[in-house]
Amino acid sequence: MSQQSIQSTADADQHSQPLVEVTDLKKHYGDGGRFSGPPVKAVDGVNFEIQEGETLGLVGESGSGKTTLGRTLIQLETATEGTVSFDGRDITKLTGSDLKQWRKNAQIVFQDPDSSLNDRMTIGEIVREPLDAHDWNSPAERRDRVKELLSSVGLQADHYYRYPHQFSGGQRQRIGIARALALEPEFMVLDEPVSALDASVQAKILNLLEDLQDEFGLTYLFIAHDLSVVRHICDRVAVMYLGKIMEIGETEELYADAKNPYTRSLLSAIPRPDPTIDRNRITLPGAPPSPRNPPAGCQFSTRCPAKIRPEAYADIDDDTWSRIEQFREVVRERTRDQMGVRDRVKRRLGTFSKYDDIEEAADDLFADVDLPAGITDTVDTAIEAVKDGRPTEAHDALTREFGGVCDTERPDMHQVSDAGRLSYCHRHDSEYDSVADTLADRSHE
Amino acid sequence: MAANTTHADDTRDTTRRSTDGLWTRIRTNPQPALRWGVVAAVLVVLELGALTGGILTLVDALVMGVTGLIDVIVGLVSPALAGRVVDVQLALSTFIEGVRSTAQSLPTLLSRDVIPNQGYNDPSTVRSFLGLSYNAWTGPFLGLSPAAAWAIRMALTLAYSLFTFYWLYRGWLTFRTHYRRAGWTPRDDMVNRLRNHSWGKFGIVVLVLFLTMSLFGTTLAPSTVQQNITASYGNEVQYVSDDTGAVETIPVGEANFNSKSKGNPAQNVGVMTYDDYGRFHPFGTLPNGRDLFTYMMGGAETTLMVTGIAIGMAGFIAALLALVSSYYGGTVDLSVLTLADGIVSIPQLLLLIMVSVVFQDHWLKSVFNGGLLLALVFGLTTWPVLWRSLRGPALQVAEEEWVDAAKSFGQQPTVTMRKHMLPYVLGYLLIYASMTVGGIVIAMASLSFLGNGLGITPPTPAWGRAISQGQPYVSSASWHIALIPGLIIVVLVTGANALGDGIRDAIDPESEGGSEEEAAATGGGA
Repeated sequence: MSQQSIQSTADADQHSQPLVEVTDLKKHYGDGGRFSGPPVKAVDGVNFEIQEGETLGLVGESGSGKTTLGRTLIQLETATEGTVSFDGRDITKLTGSDLKQWRKNAQIVFQDPDSSLNDRMTIGEIVREPLDAHDWNSPAERRDRVKELLSSVGLQADHYYRYPHQFSGGQRQRIGIARALALEPEFMVLDEPVSALDASVQAKILNLLEDLQDEFGLTYLFIAHDLSVVRHICDRVAVMYLGKIMEIGETEELYADAKNPYTRSLLSAIPRPDPTIDRNRITLPGAPPSPRNPPAGCQFSTRCPAKIRPEAYADIDDDTWSRIEQFREVVRERTRDQMGVRDRVKRRLGTFSKYDDIEEAADDLFADVDLPAGITDTVDTAIEAVKDGRPTEAHDALTREFGGVCDTERPDMHQVSDAGRLSYCHRHDSEYDSVADTLADRSHE
Repeated sequence: MAANTTHADDTRDTTRRSTDGLWTRIRTNPQPALRWGVVAAVLVVLELGALTGGILTLVDALVMGVTGLIDVIVGLVSPALAGRVVDVQLALSTFIEGVRSTAQSLPTLLSRDVIPNQGYNDPSTVRSFLGLSYNAWTGPFLGLSPAAAWAIRMALTLAYSLFTFYWLYRGWLTFRTHYRRAGWTPRDDMVNRLRNHSWGKFGIVVLVLFLTMSLFGTTLAPSTVQQNITASYGNEVQYVSDDTGAVETIPVGEANFNSKSKGNPAQNVGVMTYDDYGRFHPFGTLPNGRDLFTYMMGGAETTLMVTGIAIGMAGFIAALLALVSSYYGGTVDLSVLTLADGIVSIPQLLLLIMVSVVFQDHWLKSVFNGGLLLALVFGLTTWPVLWRSLRGPALQVAEEEWVDAAKSFGQQPTVTMRKHMLPYVLGYLLIYASMTVGGIVIAMASLSFLGNGLGITPPTPAWGRAISQGQPYVSSASWHIALIPGLIIVVLVTGANALGDGIRDAIDPESEGGSEEEAAATGGGA
């Protein structure tokens, strides 16, 4: 966040290993029993590293898995797969007293200051508790340390015997920060630490966090959904979508020239004070798919504005194509439904009618456009298949006809800048047009 | 809001918020503590013997409850070992009993010896007081009539216990205003809300009166359980014979035999009347001639023992399991749920009848005249109800981020449960426990009412049995036998519910007026 720490990051690159190194990390929920459905893939194969003293921002929509990722890093959640190395040690395998010892190194500041402090304890007890839990020095020294901590987060020592009720949101967040600092951690996960606060208080807390980082040489993972806050405080940024990192790299570079279609659409949504500036706002259609049933190819493929089309349909106009994509997403969502015995019997007897509303959906989408004959046939076949109760067949047929590499294959992380920025998109393969060109083309048509 | 409260009492802060211990804080400002302490010391001295006796009774109950539970658990594994535990238990109990009888010889101002109420009225004895001469009784305090002596003693005892309770509260207030480090705590608000809650205060008064009845029953009653009920032929009273006009001696048992309340006006000793032997009966007598007031005081002690042990045990198990099941969730929660459902599915009354029969000749049946066995059954069958009520709040607290925070710095699960979850669950425990107590009191009374080897073993007093004995005389001159115990049970159960209501409104002011839980909680009686 400061020039100094960027410098030290650069130095660290050359001769030391990163402080935190995440490899193929996955966190799936509800993956237990024979009777549970498909697991929720909150974090689905994430790789990145954080250098000592640096601040990595983690942004994404709600439900993209940022908080889960942060909680998994400090072992509040157990990773399903993959490793988290901290100073070269895999901490996902730690248990018992090893884990307790390690916990001193990594702390978390929570989003909601109303819920993160126990209302029945005094501020002193709250901040002291980590010290008590680790039997840190003598009780008298602990008390002095707490007072020292309180003053370093901008509170007064005689707040020791007050209760959280007597403080405002910003002050409560400071108390949460003091508690996180108590054990002198090296690494801190800041889980949207300012999103519950007023704008004026936000700035104060952000400045406090920056000062503390300089003072104690902290390393931050800063989780946020506010892109301007991230730009202000982070050295590097990772953009998450549906459990996957879409793009990760130096903040300024990424903001100035995003390579990934998702990052570009996200950045285009930042409000700008100057209305005269020419901006191409990219509006994404629909909502993110359920993390229980992510697309088979690229996670972003169902909404991507730069999705790769099959050769045969290269000339179709964008509006029509976007409707076809939306129709495909409707059909794909249908494949999630588990059919009961009764529905299966009905299907066998040919009286199945639960999915007849697909026709309405198709009408809504296609009523005012003229579909080319080839496309109409495929769409009609799909509609019939869905009505018969076989959405999977319909989905396969549509994918065969309209699908491209984005629907079928997971992209690789491509290096997209000299500074080592990585982006998760098929368009970085040399055989396809670049994201920027495609988006420009499509928006000018 | 925060900024204001933060700065309002800063000046007070710097003067008294030092890092020294409580003792130093008292030394720097001894006056309030002294003022409170002097009165407290006087209160203790007044009732030294009775207080120690009362405390020892509670200790006895606690020891019995804990060792009884250990007995039962050990007994499942090895009956021989359980026998050992029984030996230890009996030894401890005998020891406490010994200490208690020593304690009773300590000077006690408010006691039967200082203000006696039993004696005979010899017309020839005349005393004079302030120049007035009057026909005095031999025996009672100042030669007053037994009724007046008893009334003075009872009024003093009640006043004493209510004032003592208030003084304890004053002690907390003194600590809060002068010696506590924190200027304000969330608990202060709860106490203030309870203080303004008249229905809740009614509950507290009822509870204090009930505790007084059970702990100071011997002082309150016109006679003692031992003299009037359990060993009535081993004790004697003196009276002035109508036939001879001379003072004669008669065993209490025989006097009782001639003081029966049998429904017809000729054979009835009603409320606030004397019998033929110069004995005063505030509540009248039972069909077997025993004093109902004494009987009720004895019954209060039994009721306190049984319900205290039962609700203590149930509350402890329920709180422990609620914390564990909500903290760990998943399989742990499911197994506790299954266990609780299993226990709830057993009809309590049938179980009690079965246990009473099975344990007929067992030593457990002899502890507290069958009270411990009842307490164990009530405790072990009541916890699922409490647990279910506590599990919701506990799950809610377990979801709070401060529990995650504690986990993130490596706090022990047990400490997390105790410091971060228990304080939030405890209030609910108080609410539901005080409401469930009513159910246990009623269930206990119903067992004694049914009799036939159920409930407390006769002749030890039990409220339900008084009602049962009075049942045939409800519409006759001896209506008092069933009515008074019935009313006392109703008032106690209502008071317990009122206290629960008060605590609930104190903890959560938004819930004021809700009444579904009470109905559910009191419906639990057998």
